[in-house]
Amino acid sequence: MKVLVSVKRVVDYNVRIQVKSDGSGVVTDGVKFSMNPFDEIAMEEAVRLREKGKVTEIVAVTIGGAKNEETLRSALAFGADRAIHIKEEGEVQPLTAAKAFAAVLKKEGAQLFLCGKQAIDDDANQTGQMVASLLDIAQATFASKVEVDGSKAQITREIDAGLETLEVDLPAVVSVDLRLNEPRYLKLPDIMKAKKKPIETIGLGDVGVAVEAGTKTVKVAPPPARAKGVMVKTVDELVSALKAKGLV
Amino acid sequence: MDFAFKDEHIAFSDSIRKFLMVEAAPEWLREIWETETGRSRELRGKLAEQGLTALSVPEEFGGIGAGDLEWVLIHQELGYYAIPDSLIDTAYLATYLLNRLPADAALKKTWLPKIADGSARIAVGHPVNPMVADAQNADLILMWHDDEVHALAKDQVKLSFNPSIDMSRRLYKVTWTPSEATRICPARLGKQLWDGVLDRAALAGAAQLVGLTQRMLDLGIDYSATRKQFGKPIGSFQAVKHHLADVAVKAEFAKPVLYRAAYATEREQARRGVYVSHAKLAAGEAAWLGARKSMQVHGAMGYTWETDLQMFMKRAWALDAAWGDRAFHKKRIADFILADGARLGPGETFA
Repeated sequence: MKVLVSVKRVVDYNVRIQVKSDGSGVVTDGVKFSMNPFDEIAMEEAVRLREKGKVTEIVAVTIGGAKNEETLRSALAFGADRAIHIKEEGEVQPLTAAKAFAAVLKKEGAQLFLCGKQAIDDDANQTGQMVASLLDIAQATFASKVEVDGSKAQITREIDAGLETLEVDLPAVVSVDLRLNEPRYLKLPDIMKAKKKPIETIGLGDVGVAVEAGTKTVKVAPPPARAKGVMVKTVDELVSALKAKGLV
Repeated sequence: MDFAFKDEHIAFSDSIRKFLMVEAAPEWLREIWETETGRSRELRGKLAEQGLTALSVPEEFGGIGAGDLEWVLIHQELGYYAIPDSLIDTAYLATYLLNRLPADAALKKTWLPKIADGSARIAVGHPVNPMVADAQNADLILMWHDDEVHALAKDQVKLSFNPSIDMSRRLYKVTWTPSEATRICPARLGKQLWDGVLDRAALAGAAQLVGLTQRMLDLGIDYSATRKQFGKPIGSFQAVKHHLADVAVKAEFAKPVLYRAAYATEREQARRGVYVSHAKLAAGEAAWLGARKSMQVHGAMGYTWETDLQMFMKRAWALDAAWGDRAFHKKRIADFILADGARLGPGETFA
């Protein structure tokens, strides 16, 4: 069985994000980028499925500018067999990415599409669901356990009421949550091996997709600074303060 | 000229940083310090699993075959996390030395695969250091004698422990008798090899010192953000900020010097030694400043056993004097600058 895993290049989670002075976005110059942490979990799951003998080939896919090749090299170091780079230097919104991934998934004939539940840059949480809708295939989101058996997969997902287990027919889209697994550290020999693995570069036109801009970023602003706290001496004072703020 | 590191260099150091961030917490390092050997088989096993022991070993012996530029960023990370292990002596220095022995040398074929798989620890003794680090744990000790290289098993040496201010360093005076049986390389080839070992060891020390400077700076910043005085975090006071900014400037200015030295070492440039000495001095100054300022920010409690800062300060002080103290490296630079016909000036910067 072949698995397609989407990986996104995002500002590293350790970077302290700064908003541009004109409010048009966040500062990305001189900032460290890395693979979206949820996509790392998706890659790790694909590798574990292969180690269990459930998967025979792992293909990593990304969409974006030339720098995204670094992210694909990381995916190859994780254990992907090969990678596909859909090169697009302009802004890529979730629907464009989903259409491109859906086209690649169809072309590759992969039975499973694994992706992070969301990317930590825009927190959109849309691409996986859109891919499933576009191809009219099953989807299971926020997976905390993935078991593949023949033409079906059992997915345990975290919901407010606890854990829910779904059975989906393959092909299917599975978006992964934080507690699915703990991604392995990349090993130096694997990073070296990744240099020799193939990356196929294609354009959006090659998969019959045009760039779409369904949404427009109006303004980006930093969160408001935390207001100074007030010390209260009694419970009554606390209750009064909460009432005054309309919180109780 | 491209001054940037390659993507794979960055990928190497990123992966090691992520690994050490989780696997080398200060609490665990303290536990290792207090063991009899001062070393952890578990940590060594994990370092080997990450491929660190195989980094310099040629592919034909099961390694990765990487060079000094790959190592320099990794040394920085090893310094940042103050890793208590003989990894650098074994995987960087001994590997360099063994790998340059004649192709038919039996020792090379025996030990390089063991270094690569992490099953061997090798100590390296050079006259610039009066003590040999980690000799007690070594499966093989490579010693200098009149520019010759000698290889010794543990039963061929007598070891006397010498405590270091840095508890994670296990230093030993090695008493031994050179003989034909122990000699693995004659002086005519050995001189060049030992020069290479010295430069690489000083380079590794410089890189670790840069990493340590950053760690001490980070500890100072963290503490200044949480410790309050007059109702505010002390980090909000300009006098404290300036102390920490001075350290950041020193560390940043040491980096290009360090990277030039690594580049010159990898390419075996003629000025390699001078650049390495410059790097060791720049990194040492940065680390001493980092230790002093961070301790001042901590209000001197940084020296107490309970705070983590003392671990990194002591490592910095020890490394500053290892593989050539400041006088040694200043002399190497002075000898170069003051030599008759010395080629100096802007036009020679990248020569």
